[in-house]
Amino acid sequence: MNGLMAIYQKELAMYFRSPIAYFVIAVFLLGTGYFFVYNIFLTGIGTMDQTFQNMGILLVTLVPILTMRLFSGEYSARTMELLATLPLRPWQIVIGKYLGAATMLLIMTLATGINLIPLFLYGNPEGSTIFAGYIGFFLLGLACVAIGQFFSALTQNQIVAALITVPVLLAFWFVGHLAAFQGSVWLRELFGHLSFAVHFGDFIRGLIRSEAVAFYLVVAAIALTLNASFLQWRR
Amino acid sequence: MIALESVSKRYGPKTIIHDISFEVAKGEIVGFRGPNGAGKTTTMRMIAGYTTATSGKVSVAGYDMASQNEEAAKRLGYLPEHPPLYDVLEVTNYLRFVAKVKGIPRAAVRRELDRVIQACRLEAVTDKETYKLSKGYRQRLGLAQALLGDPEVLLLDEPTAGLDPGQIQETREVIRSFGENHAVLLSTHILPEATLICRRVAIINQGRLLAVDSPSGLQQASEKTNQVSLLVSGPADAIGDAIRSVDGVISVHARPNGTRGELLSVDCQVDNRDGVEAAIARVVAGRWSLHRLERQQPTLENIFLRYVGEGART
Repeated sequence: MNGLMAIYQKELAMYFRSPIAYFVIAVFLLGTGYFFVYNIFLTGIGTMDQTFQNMGILLVTLVPILTMRLFSGEYSARTMELLATLPLRPWQIVIGKYLGAATMLLIMTLATGINLIPLFLYGNPEGSTIFAGYIGFFLLGLACVAIGQFFSALTQNQIVAALITVPVLLAFWFVGHLAAFQGSVWLRELFGHLSFAVHFGDFIRGLIRSEAVAFYLVVAAIALTLNASFLQWRR
Repeated sequence: MIALESVSKRYGPKTIIHDISFEVAKGEIVGFRGPNGAGKTTTMRMIAGYTTATSGKVSVAGYDMASQNEEAAKRLGYLPEHPPLYDVLEVTNYLRFVAKVKGIPRAAVRRELDRVIQACRLEAVTDKETYKLSKGYRQRLGLAQALLGDPEVLLLDEPTAGLDPGQIQETREVIRSFGENHAVLLSTHILPEATLICRRVAIINQGRLLAVDSPSGLQQASEKTNQVSLLVSGPADAIGDAIRSVDGVISVHARPNGTRGELLSVDCQVDNRDGVEAAIARVVAGRWSLHRLERQQPTLENIFLRYVGEGART
């Protein structure tokens, strides 16, 4: 447990000592703020539906920047040789790093709460629906971070890691649209089940479905397991 | 403490390390010597558990690296070829991170950090981010992290690379004092280092272990055959035949002198009898003009080069 915590603290320390975290958080908050103001003033209705949709897309494009250095950075700085020879198991490295990135995600998520202040002051929004939306947003982020972290383990080059992660995450986001073109029910259902956006839609509507929660968690677990197995195999 | 039994490493069809076996005991510093690409770093990495051996067994402090990796890692300090530093972390925070992963109790961390900072002379840079450090400091910080937790086994890949002469001497002292109660395997390009602080030297080339012996043992083995070098002008064949006829000459190798084409450089392996070089001088000087003749001391550098040369020919 000590080792895992040490990795976690090191990751957080490294995020806040490099400009990347500040950049990602700033871009995310600016984008979210813009979408919020745009959506609310355009519709005049105090809901977060459209804003959550926009936040989801923004997250999918920003997560790769957050995760690209997690392993690629270790390879290029040759610090992986240190991590791999310290008394650490691969899963401790993987989980420690994952928790570090997830904490950044949590900070990003909580920081958007500032948008809710005027919403609650001047409107009459449904608190439970917004809460469900936030749960969905964080779960979506957890799945994206795990995928980004896995791809970061495959290459020494951070840019390449990000460039692989972006299309994969976008594919997970948009795969639901393919369902409309499928003749077979089986394929329609499959694409629907795999879609980040479809499951996120449930949360935005205020539904916390166990199937959707499980989907994001299973995706994250598979990515993390692949990540740890890859580190083990690399030896 | 460190034991390699018939260890080989293959990457695809290519064999990098061929059937290496040796041991490093407690209280012993063993130097690991070989030209670039000889397999030193790969061997170090297998002992450290960064890569696994394709066949054979590597054990550290009695633990098999293949199956008890984590137990072995607790007893191992490792300085890789490139000091593994996190650029944005400050020296103290970096060492604190490594100390925590090594499982040093919270109460002892401060004391342990002070110990290694003092031993590696890092007092002046404790608050600096590691990317601001000079090469010498980076190397010493790498050594400091390896020393954390007082591991039973220390693996150092080129620990003095990039240091100035004063720092080299200080680092040597740190390693020497550490080696009194621990097992240290140290790879180095610099031969005096091996001679000065190592009890034994392992010579490796092209993935094969050529010799493991004390510096004096290697020297004695080598003294049985000495080398006499000549610079002479005349026909190579005739000179070669003349020298070979001298009693005590084992082999003769003649080649044109690189800088002066008309001259011939001749290297002769001779046995350790007295007067062999005088006999060679008499035979050569009587018929051709002899410009220089010297008997070369079997320094460790020459011994190493001879081993590596023989290894390459076989």
